[in-house]
Amino acid sequence: MKFLANKFVLAALLLGVPAAVIAFEGIEAKIRFTDIAAKAGVQTQHHTRKYNGKSAEVLGMFTSGGSSAAVGDFDGDGLDDIFVTDSDKGKLNHLFHNNGNMTFTDVAVAAGVAGGNDPLSIVADALWFDYDNDGRQDLLVARFGTPILYHNEGGGKFKDVSKGSGFNKFGNTIAVIAFDYDNDGLLDVMLGNYFKPENLLELKDPHVLPNDLDNAINGGGVTLWHNQGKGVFVDVTVKAGFGKHTGWTLDIGHGDYDNDGFQDIYLACDYGTDRIFFNNGDGTFTDTTEKSIGFDTRKGMNVDVADYDNDGYLDIYVTNITDEYMKECNMMWHNNHDRTFTDVSRETNTCETLWGWSAKFGDFDNDGWPDLFVVNGLRSAGKENYIPVLVNLITQPGVDFTDARLWPNIGNMTWSGYQKKKMFRNLGGQAFKEISAEAGVDNDKDGRGIAMGDFDNDGRLDLFQANADQPAIFYRGVTEGGGNWIQFKLTGTKSNRDAVGARITLTAGGLKQMHEINGANGYAGQSMSRAHFGIGKAATVDSVEIRWPNGLIEKVSGVAVNKINKVTEGKGLQR
Amino acid sequence: MNYRNRVFLTAVLTALPLLIVTPAFAADDEFEKAEQALASKDYKTAIPILEKLVEADPDSSRNASEYRQAILRQSIAGHPKEGAVLDFDKEISFFEKQAAAHPNSSNIYLHYGFAYVDKIAAAGSITQVILANTALTQFTKSLELKPTWIGLYTRGNSYLYWPRIFGRTSLGVSDLERAYAMQKAEPKKSFHVRVYISLGDGYWKSDNIDKAVAVWREGVTQFPNSQPLKDRLSRQGEDLRAYIDNVLDPGRRVDTDLRELWGQP
Repeated sequence: MKFLANKFVLAALLLGVPAAVIAFEGIEAKIRFTDIAAKAGVQTQHHTRKYNGKSAEVLGMFTSGGSSAAVGDFDGDGLDDIFVTDSDKGKLNHLFHNNGNMTFTDVAVAAGVAGGNDPLSIVADALWFDYDNDGRQDLLVARFGTPILYHNEGGGKFKDVSKGSGFNKFGNTIAVIAFDYDNDGLLDVMLGNYFKPENLLELKDPHVLPNDLDNAINGGGVTLWHNQGKGVFVDVTVKAGFGKHTGWTLDIGHGDYDNDGFQDIYLACDYGTDRIFFNNGDGTFTDTTEKSIGFDTRKGMNVDVADYDNDGYLDIYVTNITDEYMKECNMMWHNNHDRTFTDVSRETNTCETLWGWSAKFGDFDNDGWPDLFVVNGLRSAGKENYIPVLVNLITQPGVDFTDARLWPNIGNMTWSGYQKKKMFRNLGGQAFKEISAEAGVDNDKDGRGIAMGDFDNDGRLDLFQANADQPAIFYRGVTEGGGNWIQFKLTGTKSNRDAVGARITLTAGGLKQMHEINGANGYAGQSMSRAHFGIGKAATVDSVEIRWPNGLIEKVSGVAVNKINKVTEGKGLQR
Repeated sequence: MNYRNRVFLTAVLTALPLLIVTPAFAADDEFEKAEQALASKDYKTAIPILEKLVEADPDSSRNASEYRQAILRQSIAGHPKEGAVLDFDKEISFFEKQAAAHPNSSNIYLHYGFAYVDKIAAAGSITQVILANTALTQFTKSLELKPTWIGLYTRGNSYLYWPRIFGRTSLGVSDLERAYAMQKAEPKKSFHVRVYISLGDGYWKSDNIDKAVAVWREGVTQFPNSQPLKDRLSRQGEDLRAYIDNVLDPGRRVDTDLRELWGQP
């Protein structure tokens, strides 16, 4: 490992640094954000589900997610809106319509998408996607239960079409992505499930917790749903090769990791090894975990995907738990270009982010290098620490970890709480520098999801931070003196209309960058579907090439700097 | 000797008194065979011989240590990173049987504890906690049977690896202070330097910086060439914190090789 890491650094030094330094040194801006949640009207309070019975506190502790945010322009007005979930019984979700002046109005009830937290279901995540290619963003609400699929009817109204959708299988779903795994032009759905499929709200057998805290295999795995068209999805999990995965899936990240034109899958799993599956191009996937990344025992929490070193291959960032009592370190999986990855989190200074949850790459200073924002913190409460209490349980000989009745109640104790969020500036693709405090994002809330967007279309990325049992934070990007930027709004024609999986390769200022449109990578947060590029001091673009999911390679000319550029598949730039 | 992880290795240095229990000449021949096999990485030959030697002489720290090292080397040869968990399970199982067969052997319990320590680096982060705690249980049993310097030193160091929130540092300091008193009452030995190092670390971790520096300084007067003591005394503040945090990182492999002892007078 050490050798590989050194090899990586050496290669980077020999090949990458000259260009990197040129591009990086051009921008001296200090990245800055300011919390405008209250002023913007989005400081919504999340509520985790409260359980009944003897295991109530333990189940609450194990299911303290559910605070998520999804960015999408549901009314097609060119301004991204935000769907924010709540989780306690009867609590309503929020659909924050963007008023265009960095204020938002909650229209969830009027739109018909506020529900979902019924007595036997818990809302946990959400996804915008145009499943029927009608040009309007539909909404899938993932639950500990069955998902709810809403069809966007237009006019700000949604219709619950779950019944005929095929999404009828119970799962304790915590993650959802949309991607077109067979490139047939229709977005498919993968659900990541945490617990095995038993309803925790009417628990019959208390043996539902992980059977091993480092190598658990009794989780919910994933399910893959093929879009048949006409709003019908079919469970193809086993056929596609995911049937044997029974880990505690917390997040799913997709991308074309081997540049073969097909979307591959990375699964971040709690209590045991992450998994990577490569797409065989025939509707099936192969689990190459052992060869590609090796088996691990960490607590995988989040997957985000980006080409952080601009070498033309997607890299993967996974948060784990690194705290005083557990030093796992995150994983910055550098893509070795041969279906294997090397973890360079220590070398890149992205290893320690405490109890990690969501992490998102984004070029916050528009210098051409993706920076990184990571949220963390499990439970901020009283002065007493739950860890020594917990250790008394786990060190008991022969204890059955699966039995929820045996776990000590947490009461008002704190567990990895009051943790400062982490932001890292990308130093030319070689390393990252922590800038959390100076960037103004070092809050100590119990973060869960991050949804990134450019809600005022000013070319500076904004961040919505969804917290568990706490109010949300909404960071407006206010960096002064950042670089120039370009955004692309892609529309597929033969490919899926959302262009998920489309790859844009842009060259400007001597720096070549690549971005792939994703369908909600990152824990509990879907970022905007527009591709955002910082280009430093470059005032023009040398070239833009789009590889559409159906294989079409399209060169785009006439791209405008500091603008949103709309490109339709096969038709080039749209004015 | 590899000084990379020091603590338990140091503990082993102090096993000298235990090694005074000299194996029989025939056992020495067998031990030599095992050593030759180990030198040629022939673990399949070495391990059964060493198992028999431990069974025959449970109080020999030399035999028990070499057995554990043979398992460790075999595992790492097959699984280069930190070895395979199952290999260490065999090691633990072996000592579990020996403890049952020799319930009054302080040495067996000491190595039973070391067997759990050997597994830690190959295990997941939560399993590491379980293993470290179980190791402490065996070290305590060893001390209950015979309160030796090495037993106190080993358990005291083990406590220092626990994060502060578990409140075990004071227990480690207590053990190390007893080991310190023991060594002060006998002629100086080269491995006594280890207690100066670790006791100082324990004081430092208890936020008693003055006492830490004092014991490190006393150590330097006794062992002026000790680089670990010089390293500590040359650092302050965050630099010292980073240094000791690294030394006491519970996820790193602890070198439990006792081999260096055998050359001691």
